Amino acid sequence: MRDPLVRDNNFSELMRAAQAGNSREYLLLLEEITPRIRRVVRSQRAFLQIEDIEDLVQDILVSVHAVRASYDPERPFVPWLLAIVRNRLADGARRHARSTAHEIQVENLAVTFTEEPANPNMDTYGDVEELREAITRLPPIQRDAIQMLKLDEMSLKEAAVASGTTVGALKVATHRAMSALRKMLVKSK
Amino acid sequence: MTANTQQLIRELTKNAGPVRTLRSPFIRALLWLIPSFAYVGMFVLIMPLRHDSPAAFHDHLLLIELSAALATGLTAAVAAFASIIPGYSRNWVALPSGPLVIWMASLGPGCVQQLNEFGIQGLPLRHNPWCVPFIIVFGALPAVLATVMLRRGAPLTPRLTAALGGLAAAGLANVGVRIVHPEDVSVMLLFWHVGSVIVLSTVAGAAGRYLFNWRVLITKSKIRA
Repeated sequence: MRDPLVRDNNFSELMRAAQAGNSREYLLLLEEITPRIRRVVRSQRAFLQIEDIEDLVQDILVSVHAVRASYDPERPFVPWLLAIVRNRLADGARRHARSTAHEIQVENLAVTFTEEPANPNMDTYGDVEELREAITRLPPIQRDAIQMLKLDEMSLKEAAVASGTTVGALKVATHRAMSALRKMLVKSK
Repeated sequence: MTANTQQLIRELTKNAGPVRTLRSPFIRALLWLIPSFAYVGMFVLIMPLRHDSPAAFHDHLLLIELSAALATGLTAAVAAFASIIPGYSRNWVALPSGPLVIWMASLGPGCVQQLNEFGIQGLPLRHNPWCVPFIIVFGALPAVLATVMLRRGAPLTPRLTAALGGLAAAGLANVGVRIVHPEDVSVMLLFWHVGSVIVLSTVAGAAGRYLFNWRVLITKSKIRA
């Protein structure tokens, strides 16, 4: 194994050449540091899959490329590199935590059709007696509106003619009746 | 090495031209200070000096206060430029704390003297409300310049970097404001001037992640590559 100081000097030289625009030396440098970066990532994130580790390695390489102007060839190379590696690993962990916080684990998704229809409780209420009783407790205008529009399934126009009121007034009465029913039924649960 | 990573390395190095390396944080802080100082100086020259200027500039405490505020701005700039260099010691961020303490302490004797003289009830709390907008206007160009210069480094601690940049700009602006804006009630100075500088640094710090982040830097470098 090579002396770490010699190795660091070698990296510094390669980086100095890379900063001057020598792409061959730059290629050499990145090829040299990539296995080391991968080792660090693997040791710090041992629980990750191989492809996730490789994603992080690539992320770090791109970051090194983006801030290569910040390297001072008079200073050691490895601490500079490790500071970027540590920072990108911490960023990766934060990103991972953020994305998993919004994920819901779903198992056995039905392939073709969903097993349950959407909004299964929308049109039926379990306790019919309770619902009927709640309707009787509504004010007369609202009770009539529910009776005609929801139970007798009349159209708004028909109901308006039958009750001698306007379509608008019926809509308002129905809306208020539905809110009142919802409150009564929730309270009784 | 996996094929994808090898391919990425080839792409990164293929068209990578020469880059201008960043100078040391001290030199960059000086490069920031010169135009910023000229900008603040321009305001000081075109605005009327405080009415009590001849007597005020013989006041040792005021001179200590101005020097400490200037030193706070400069050391905060050095710390901000050091915070974007990977591998630099984190201890650099403590650099402005010394001048900041001296700056606040320079207002202390005034506060104590006024408390003894007037008591807490009788403190003359008159205040010219223009000091805060003045600090913002005086600090605008230094803040923009610091942001542009700091975006060339690595966004390792974006909030801290932005807060230090804000402290540098607001500290320098405060020096200019103190020269043109008469306000000698120490308690008010502590509250409005030092308070404004600290609030502006905190606001800058809160915006740090938007100002300095890897995503923008990487996108820019990919476009250039």
